[in-house]
Amino acid sequence: MTIVLGIESTSHTFGVGIVQRNYYGIRILANECSKYIPVRGGIHPREASLHHAREAPRVLKSALDKAGISIKDVDAIAVALGPGLGPCLRVGATLARFLSSYYSKPLIPVNHAVAHIEIGKFVAGFTDPLVIYVSGGNTLVAIQRKKRYRILGETLDIPLGNLLDTFAREVGLAPPYVVNGKHQVDICSERGQNFIDLPYTVKGIDLSFSGLLTASLKYAEKIKARQELGDICLSLRETAFDMIVEVAERALLLTGKKEVLLVGGVASNNVLRQKLETMAALHGARYEGTPPEVSGDNGAMIAYTGLLLYEHGTTIEPEKAFIKQRWRLDEVELPWLLD
Amino acid sequence: MASRLILLSEGAEAKIYLLEVFNTKLIVKHRISKPYRHPLFDKLFRERRTKTEARVLSKLYSSNLPVPAPLFVDPFNSIIIMEYVPGKKLSDVIYQLNKDVVNSIAYRLGKYVGKMHRLNIYHGDLTLANILYSKNIGRIFLIDFGLAGYSTDIEEYAIDIHLIERSINALAPELSKSFVESFWQGYMEGYGENAHEIKNRVHEIKLRGRYVEERLKKRLEHERYR
Repeated sequence: MTIVLGIESTSHTFGVGIVQRNYYGIRILANECSKYIPVRGGIHPREASLHHAREAPRVLKSALDKAGISIKDVDAIAVALGPGLGPCLRVGATLARFLSSYYSKPLIPVNHAVAHIEIGKFVAGFTDPLVIYVSGGNTLVAIQRKKRYRILGETLDIPLGNLLDTFAREVGLAPPYVVNGKHQVDICSERGQNFIDLPYTVKGIDLSFSGLLTASLKYAEKIKARQELGDICLSLRETAFDMIVEVAERALLLTGKKEVLLVGGVASNNVLRQKLETMAALHGARYEGTPPEVSGDNGAMIAYTGLLLYEHGTTIEPEKAFIKQRWRLDEVELPWLLD
Repeated sequence: MASRLILLSEGAEAKIYLLEVFNTKLIVKHRISKPYRHPLFDKLFRERRTKTEARVLSKLYSSNLPVPAPLFVDPFNSIIIMEYVPGKKLSDVIYQLNKDVVNSIAYRLGKYVGKMHRLNIYHGDLTLANILYSKNIGRIFLIDFGLAGYSTDIEEYAIDIHLIERSINALAPELSKSFVESFWQGYMEGYGENAHEIKNRVHEIKLRGRYVEERLKKRLEHERYR
């Protein structure tokens, strides 16, 4: 029996998750988190890191309580060392290095992007999916090949989550960005009736959102009625999501995969989910999304991936556990991946 | 029978049929409506791509580049009928070819792509799946110009090359180094003057990718030695 505690602090969320491997399989014992919500504007890295530092002890304790264990029962400490915001990453890394050296537990370095994908695969029960990873920091399509996730296509500029958040913020819809599990752009889209022709930029399996953002903001400057903002939101969302689905469809046909997996923060979006599900069905592939508890940033995904790494003997000395703000998904070698 | 129609393949956005009329082979490309797209957008989208593809094919064909000749265009029903070109997708056969053949293909591909960019045309989806290779006649053909367009911006040309490099990297990492070298040899010849500007831009695009370590290193060095 192995218990791994995972710490996530790459961006707006400080999370601690605990997973356990026993005779029957792997179970998530606890998944506690605290989200930094800006009063206005976007994520301020320093403010977010102060929030994490303030909340860390409470979240850690509540995760241990939920799991009904003490820190001494934990076999290893996993931590997301990147990619992410420097000040935020340092909070998680500091806590992990302390726990590891004070309690003499092995420390496991986890890549945040890998963790998003692995927890998605675990929940969906997939072995070899086409991965569509959409969040505030990433928009990419990947498959596994030769012990790594290979990126088939990605955004050439800003990620999808960033597009939606920036637009909502600039036109005064946000913060808060998400209300009752729905993004402000989605809520506003419900008022939309007309379709506006906005830049649609797909380059092979790559895509670009910056032109779409600029054009949408230009339209938004000129509007006179509330109705028109709905039209823009609808068109923006439809254009952006159709681009993702087209790219996914191209990748699916190129690779001939039979499973389609949606992961990352934007995976909780219902509209995107439905579009991808329809697309996968057209080609006889199984589609699975990721439930909201584990699609956004969370500690359980770090703990789960840490457990897999630990079982394959990947650990790091605390004095060498530097954070990596830039740490691409395709740099990480993962021994358990099928060829 | 004077004619028959066979479904050849179903791509991401179109159905490809083989049409035989009096022993002449033709290809029919029909862009299909997608249930996941907004209906208003779907119509606009298919019409626009059909028009661009026909326009670009006609220009490339008349400039002696190896592409199928467009013969009939109906943008409102999103149909193009074009010449049949032989060959299999390079993405399917690359594993069966020896290194010299692959390098020769890469060299010729580079030359054609260079010439295409000289005409201010970019492909927009230049992957191994959109290159046909015919063993019998030893020729390659470029197909699927749905994402193509006209531009004088070298960014678009560089993205084409970035896409082909990534495609070979993902599908056959062991062949990619020599493939890319041969490609550039051909490209330098096909594009001619100033090809190095595009080479620099391709490198720049790679560094623009999210979380690329090299970018950070470069900036730090720059700051240190200033």
